[in-house]
Amino acid sequence: MSTLKKYLKQSATYKLYLHFESYFKDILSTTGNIVQLSIHILKCILKCEINFKELLLQCDRFGVSSLPITLSIVGMTSIIVASQVAHEMVKQGGGNFVGMLMTILIVREVGVIMSGFAITSMIGSSLASELATMRVTEQVDAIDVLGVDSVRYLFVPRVLSGIIMMPFVVILASVVGVLLGAFTSNLFANLSYRAYFDSAWLGLYMKDLWVSILKSAVFGGTIALISCTCGFFASGGAKGVGLATTKAVVWSFIAIVIWDMVFAILFFF
Amino acid sequence: MSIEVKNLIKKFDDKVVINDISFKVEDGEVLAIVGFSGSGKSTVLKLISGLIPYDSGEIITSEGDIAMVFQYSALFDSLNVFDNISFALRERKDLRKKYSKNDLQNIVSQKLELVGLKGIENKFPSELSGGMQKRVSFARAIVTKPNSILYDEPTAGLDPMSSTLIEDYIVRLRNELDAASIVVTHQMSTITRTADRVIMLYDGKIVFEGTPSEMLKQDNPYTKQFVTASLEGPMTMKA
Repeated sequence: MSTLKKYLKQSATYKLYLHFESYFKDILSTTGNIVQLSIHILKCILKCEINFKELLLQCDRFGVSSLPITLSIVGMTSIIVASQVAHEMVKQGGGNFVGMLMTILIVREVGVIMSGFAITSMIGSSLASELATMRVTEQVDAIDVLGVDSVRYLFVPRVLSGIIMMPFVVILASVVGVLLGAFTSNLFANLSYRAYFDSAWLGLYMKDLWVSILKSAVFGGTIALISCTCGFFASGGAKGVGLATTKAVVWSFIAIVIWDMVFAILFFF
Repeated sequence: MSIEVKNLIKKFDDKVVINDISFKVEDGEVLAIVGFSGSGKSTVLKLISGLIPYDSGEIITSEGDIAMVFQYSALFDSLNVFDNISFALRERKDLRKKYSKNDLQNIVSQKLELVGLKGIENKFPSELSGGMQKRVSFARAIVTKPNSILYDEPTAGLDPMSSTLIEDYIVRLRNELDAASIVVTHQMSTITRTADRVIMLYDGKIVFEGTPSEMLKQDNPYTKQFVTASLEGPMTMKA
């Protein structure tokens, strides 16, 4: 019997089981931490316990520093989509709807999703590695021993800056995306700017704009919260910092897609 | 009595790291906790400071702040020396409205003078040597006038002169603040120059308690092995 047990413990199936077990334990504990921290952050915000100086610094980091990469990614995605769609639609006689299609696509999805991915890879990873480094070098412990609420000091300004700044970034990125869509359609399909912009407003409603703004605020807060949580609970030196950063990026990407699905079902189904 | 530890037990998973230890540190007393690496010394400090929870036992501290000087200083590297030292006064709920900017400047300059580093308020931790970082972390720790100060290997990695300087500060702070201090250390000079009493930990248990001179007498096989740095004795290094 014991030989059978020993054999089973060495089998690939058992190792796979152990791998999945630790994976699910990690998912559960991280989700628990995120929920617990969200409640703590909400309490701090409701009590107005906000470090405004730190909030401004984080807003600058979230909104201004991320702009070049976000605008580039959203802009390039718009160019790719427009270059393929515009030519085909003009050929099929649907040139008058290129602007409408591009605008809906960018405002509802491309602008928000691609900005979310860009900000995750740039700001989310830097938030996670910053907090993870602070954790492994005992700086977070020092904050706690000094009697300062580390969640209030570290999380509140970062999460708030995500919620505040992400909509601005997304609005700007969407405008750039729509403009570059017009430019590309003109260049590749010889579609006039007038035809593009005349139809641009046809399929767009105020609801699209509000949902886009709300969605981007949720994305911003989620990216900051997940990234800070992964960094905050890092352990084990340089390797731990790397693992926390990877985890923050992967979790944020997954969360963005899940939130996007939720918004699509809630508002456009 | 300022710090009292009663029957303290701490486990990490199933491994018992601190195994039923008890000791007291009075106001104005310096207790050194010694032992080989992995004996649970730093864990005791983390338990007393509340950074990690204990499984059973009791830690009683008199009212007031507990300060901690970390092994690698743990200065906030994105903040300059002024912001590091004034951090608790600016960010703590009960203190942040108490001090004006001028007050903060005076307090920081006074604390820096105490550790012999006047005029470095605008420098960042990366611009300071290891010894200077340690002294800034001293200044940061005492800014709230704590009742108890915990030192985690305060002289580790420092040259002999810097170590002497740090040891002098430990004694000076003990005298000025009348604080109960616990120093976790490996270094004999730190034990003999700062401590009033010594306890030695091995395998999470106290194997010696006495004064530094009693420790040096080498009556106890554990302290004898520690003082002579011998590989022969009751303590074995774990792989």
